[in-house]
Amino acid sequence: MEYKKLILLSVLFGLLIILLVLFFMGQGKEKTPEIASSDLLDKGISGQQEMETKPFVLFFLSEEDSWLHKEEREISIGTTLEHQIERIIEELIRGSEKGLLSPIPTETKIRGIYITKKGVVYVDFSPEFQKDHSSGSSAEISSIFSIVNSIAYNFQSIKKVFILINGTEQETLAGHIDLRRPFLPRYELIVD
Amino acid sequence: MKKEWLVFFVCFLFIQGLLFSQKMPSIELGAKDYPDFSRVFLESSNPLSLSIEKSNSYIMVRVRADHPFLINKQAFQSSRVKSVEWGRGSDYYIFTIKLDNKDFVHQHSISQDSSVVLIDIRPLSMDYENNNDIPNNTPPDSNISTSISREQELKTIVIDPGHGGLETGAEGRFGTNEKTITLEIALKLKKIIERNLPYRVQLTREEDVDVSLDRRAAIANNYKALVFISIHANGSYRKMAHGSETFFMSLNATDEEIRKLAYMENNSTELDSIKGDNADDIKLILWDMAQSSYIRQSSILAEKIQTKLNSLSGTLNRGVKQAPFKVLTGVACPAVLVETAFISNPEEEKKLTTNEFQNSIARAIYLGLAEFLE
Repeated sequence: MEYKKLILLSVLFGLLIILLVLFFMGQGKEKTPEIASSDLLDKGISGQQEMETKPFVLFFLSEEDSWLHKEEREISIGTTLEHQIERIIEELIRGSEKGLLSPIPTETKIRGIYITKKGVVYVDFSPEFQKDHSSGSSAEISSIFSIVNSIAYNFQSIKKVFILINGTEQETLAGHIDLRRPFLPRYELIVD
Repeated sequence: MKKEWLVFFVCFLFIQGLLFSQKMPSIELGAKDYPDFSRVFLESSNPLSLSIEKSNSYIMVRVRADHPFLINKQAFQSSRVKSVEWGRGSDYYIFTIKLDNKDFVHQHSISQDSSVVLIDIRPLSMDYENNNDIPNNTPPDSNISTSISREQELKTIVIDPGHGGLETGAEGRFGTNEKTITLEIALKLKKIIERNLPYRVQLTREEDVDVSLDRRAAIANNYKALVFISIHANGSYRKMAHGSETFFMSLNATDEEIRKLAYMENNSTELDSIKGDNADDIKLILWDMAQSSYIRQSSILAEKIQTKLNSLSGTLNRGVKQAPFKVLTGVACPAVLVETAFISNPEEEKKLTTNEFQNSIARAIYLGLAEFLE
C-alpha cells in the first residue's frame, strides 16, 4: 500500500511539474520585452530561471558562403534584459554547435551591457575582442553583424547597438570599421 | 682545353654585361599633350637631383649623374614638344627639351622619393586670351603670368595605401603583409594615372610608415582632392573567402558632423560670402546637397571601379557595398575603398604578390576612375 501511494504521489507530483513547465513555456515566444528591465522581475520569475531556457536565434558564419546563418539554441533566461543579451553574446563567443563559424575571438569576455531608454544597447567587450581579432574588413563586418543581428533579431525593441572595447568607443574594431557609431541590424547579410 | 676556356670566358663576360646593364640606373622619358598643357616626364630607377631652366624655346634639365644612365625615350605624343636630346658631362646629364615656340611657362613637380619628375608646359598666349582681367594695352608682365598658371594648377587625386609601419594589416599564410601589397598597388596606380590623365596623384604614404586614419582624410582635404581611393587587401575568418569588392561610405549623424566640418573648411571662401538672415540655413542646405552628392558620386565611382575589376582582375565579383569605414569618414569628396583580393586566402595571397595581378588591379581602378572623371 505504501508503495502504491508513493508511486501515485510521485506521478501526480511529476504531472504537476510538467504542467508548471508547460504553463511557463506557454507564455509565448515573447520577442518584445519592455525596455524597463524590471518588467521581467515583476512577472514573478525569480530563482528558478537559472534552470529555465528559451530558444533564441544566433547568427554564425559558414565556410560554405559569405552569409550569416541562423542557429537556434536553448539559452537560459536572464533576470534582466541586460543579462539576457549578455547570455546570448556569450553563446556567440562559445561558438556554433552545428559546424558553423564564429569570428569572435574565443578569449573575448563581456565587461558589461547597458541599455538606454531609447533602445540603444552598449555592449562592452574586453580588450581581447580587438587584440585577437582576425584582420580584414570582411572579418570585422562578420563579427559586428553576427553580434548586432543576434541582439536585434531576438529583442526587436533594440534599435541600435554600440560596441565598446574596455569601456570606450574605439576608432576602429581592428583597423577598418568605425566603432564610434551605432550599428543597426543588417538582415540582408543573412541567408537560410 | 683552351678553346673551351675561351668560350666560357666570353659567356661569362656576356652575362656580366647583362647583369651590369640591369643594375645600371635608368631614366625613362616621355611627353604627352593635354587640352591645356603638355607634360614631359622623367622617370628614374634612382632618386634624381636636378635643376630646370628655360631658355627661349628650350627647357634645360640638368641631372646629377656620377655614373652613366640608361636612357629610354618613349614615343612622344605631343605636338608642342618637338624633341628631347641629351648629352653627358663629367658628372651630369643635360636634357634639352625643344618646344614649338618660346611663349610658354613651365612648372614641375617631383615625387617624394625624387625618382619621378613631371614638367608641365603651358602656352603663354592662351593665358592672355582666356583672362579677361588683363587690359589689352598692358605690356606682358612675368608676375601676372606665373599667378595665372598657379590658378590653373592641376587638380589632385589622393590614393591611400592601407595600413603601414607598425600596422601591418592582414597577414597571409605565406607571410605577405597587407601593408606591402597596398603600397605596391598604389604606386603602380599612381604611375598609370599620371601618365594618362591630367591630374596629380598624392599618396597618403609613399613608404612603410604609420599614418593615422584621420591624417589620411586630412591629406585628401588639404589637397582639395577630386577623389579619394583607399586600397586594401581583405581578410576573413573564412579561409575560402575570395574575390574583390568596392565600398563607399554609409552615413549617419556622427559622420555628418565630421564631414560637415571638412566641407566648411574646404569651401570657406564661398560659404563666407553668403550673408543675410538665412545664411546659416542656406549653408546647411548647401552642405546637405554636397553630402548627398558625395555619397551619390562615391557610389558611381565604386560601380565603375568594380565593373572594371570584374572584367580585368579575374577575381570573383563581391560587388559594391556600403560600410562605415573609418578612413572614409571626414573626407570631403567622393571616396571609395577597394578590397582588392583576400590575403587570408592562400591562392589569392600568391596572386597579390605578383606584378601581373597588381598591374591588372591598378589598371582596373585607373579605367574606372578615368570613366568617372570624364
